Amino acid sequence: MTVSDKPTMIEFRDVQKYYGDYHALRGINATIKAGEFFSLLGPSGCGKTTLLRTIAGFEDISSGAVLIDGKDAAQIPPNKRPTNMVFQSYAIFPHLTVEQNVGFGLRRENLSKDEMGRRVGEALEMVGLKGFGKRAAHALSGGQRQRVALARALILKPKVLLLDEPLSALDKKLRENMQVELIKLQRQVGITFILVTHDQEEALVMSDRIAVMFEGQIAQLDDPETLYRRPKSRQVADFIGTMNFLPATAHPTSDGGFDVDVAGLGQCHIPADQAPGAATGNGVNVGFRPETLTILYEGQQPTDRETPGTVEEVVYYGDMTYYDVKLDGVAEPVRLSMRNVPGRPVLDIGTRTRVAWSPSALVLFR
Amino acid sequence: MSSGGFLQRIGRSEAANGLTMISPTAIYAILLLAAPLVTVFVYSFMADGPAGSLIADFSFANYVKIWTGKIYRAIMLRSLWVSMAVTAVTVILAYPVAYFVSFNVPPNKKALWLFLITIPFWTSYLIRVFLWKVILGYNGVINSGLLSLGIIDEPLTSLNYNVQAFVITLAHAYAPFAILPIYVALEKIDRSLLEAGQDLGESRLMTFWRVTLPLSMPGVIAAILIVFIPTIGDYVTPDLIGGGKLPMIANMIQVEMLKQNHKAMGSAIAVSAMLIVAGVTLIFLLLNRRFLKGQK
Repeated sequence: MTVSDKPTMIEFRDVQKYYGDYHALRGINATIKAGEFFSLLGPSGCGKTTLLRTIAGFEDISSGAVLIDGKDAAQIPPNKRPTNMVFQSYAIFPHLTVEQNVGFGLRRENLSKDEMGRRVGEALEMVGLKGFGKRAAHALSGGQRQRVALARALILKPKVLLLDEPLSALDKKLRENMQVELIKLQRQVGITFILVTHDQEEALVMSDRIAVMFEGQIAQLDDPETLYRRPKSRQVADFIGTMNFLPATAHPTSDGGFDVDVAGLGQCHIPADQAPGAATGNGVNVGFRPETLTILYEGQQPTDRETPGTVEEVVYYGDMTYYDVKLDGVAEPVRLSMRNVPGRPVLDIGTRTRVAWSPSALVLFR
Repeated sequence: MSSGGFLQRIGRSEAANGLTMISPTAIYAILLLAAPLVTVFVYSFMADGPAGSLIADFSFANYVKIWTGKIYRAIMLRSLWVSMAVTAVTVILAYPVAYFVSFNVPPNKKALWLFLITIPFWTSYLIRVFLWKVILGYNGVINSGLLSLGIIDEPLTSLNYNVQAFVITLAHAYAPFAILPIYVALEKIDRSLLEAGQDLGESRLMTFWRVTLPLSMPGVIAAILIVFIPTIGDYVTPDLIGGGKLPMIANMIQVEMLKQNHKAMGSAIAVSAMLIVAGVTLIFLLLNRRFLKGQK
């Protein structure tokens, strides 16, 4: 069963939010499915955290509706919602021990002491903190606090787990480990995870679907691959990964695609699905990712097209090398990446070279 | 190594710098605080002779008299009772004020509110106590007001010359001292903890009970100590509001020391009062440690 077959868990219907004169959410429409790992991605101030907090009930909306599991959330106070949150600061209660923190929400279930201990123990084991129950909250590292926050939220078996930039306070290695652990955890518990992040890589790695937000609006909502390969606007393309842009002119063709003339690359045909912004005329742009270009070494033939250029900058990353290549007839250099495999020497600055490309990797923007 | 070089090195050391900086204060404190304290302590073990003289006959006789004598005990218990009542009333009234300023006043108005809270300090303590006498007295504002309105036929006596009047006066005088530490403790609470409390299914009231209140306890205990310690030794209020009929420890010390000229007995009462305060303080400090245990 794919995600799209599942029932809707969260629905935003034209959600608007004003802080005084400031328009924080400008008509959000989206549905999030049950069991989905959904990310809200965007730069700081884009409204992603505000949107998450409307689900938790910590922000009232100015108009529109938020539906949780089919019910209008406006009438449900935060403590009665079937959602739990992992806060950015983790919000671990400093006056309680780890197990008191994890068991905090179980008080109202009137469990026996044994049952309580068993549930807390299970939750701690699930997040890999077995045996940490008696520790004081302040004696924990950042990664451990995050696990406590996760256990404390998941122990209540919510329908939706809300994660507000949960990994941003961790160092790179730990963050990458936690990304994988969170994905596994989500598969294990099978509930909806909604993640807020400004880290595009994190969103791509973890999500089933991503909503990219700018200035209080969703710019694009798609699965990670579509978002990366077929961004709908320059803004989205720029925010997710690196994308080269070259000026072009475009003329529509009868099949819905475009005949384009790209500066430096020449003429080619772009089918409709590679032109989500449907742009014609002069002054349009063609975008492509660095890894879709290939440097052709002596004697190599392109699989599709090739164009000459000069290496302007070389950035060596160990496994990869990034080149800035100035294509003949284009003012701005384009960036391309090559995997460093045996028999493929790193080129020097100033080397004349040929670059292979394919129209299938191009995206047309307004 | 020459001695000159050694002295120079000491002169340049951080410890020496520190000592130099605190020395004026230290000398002041030793002369005006430690020395009299030691004197009082020594006096308390001596015996009173005729006409204010002291007899160097060291014993616990004064202490035995104080801790077994009915009158002394009654006065000490009254002091303890009054100061505990004042502390309880002050802190219970101060908490909502501190809570309101911390949680409900917009951040740009907080400084103004704190400033307003300190306004009572603009008048001298003595004048404030005297004003309460004017308000609460037999012919005071309340009684004459109620009389002229015909609500009562003769002045109420429940407002003046009694412990309630002490509590009203002292609670007002010490309210800012209680509000400020509680406010500081409440300000330090990470607001996301309160959201977390609600997120985990607790109502606002239960979140207050399980999160806000325990986290603000260090401030509450500081407030308790700040109010309790000076009120138990208060002299002005029992004298003015109580009309001298309900003496507390300080009044008793004054009577022994100045009126009866019993320096040894007065000193022993003073030391006993200090012991009571120290005992109560210790209890609260231990409590505070318990609340601070889980926090940084």
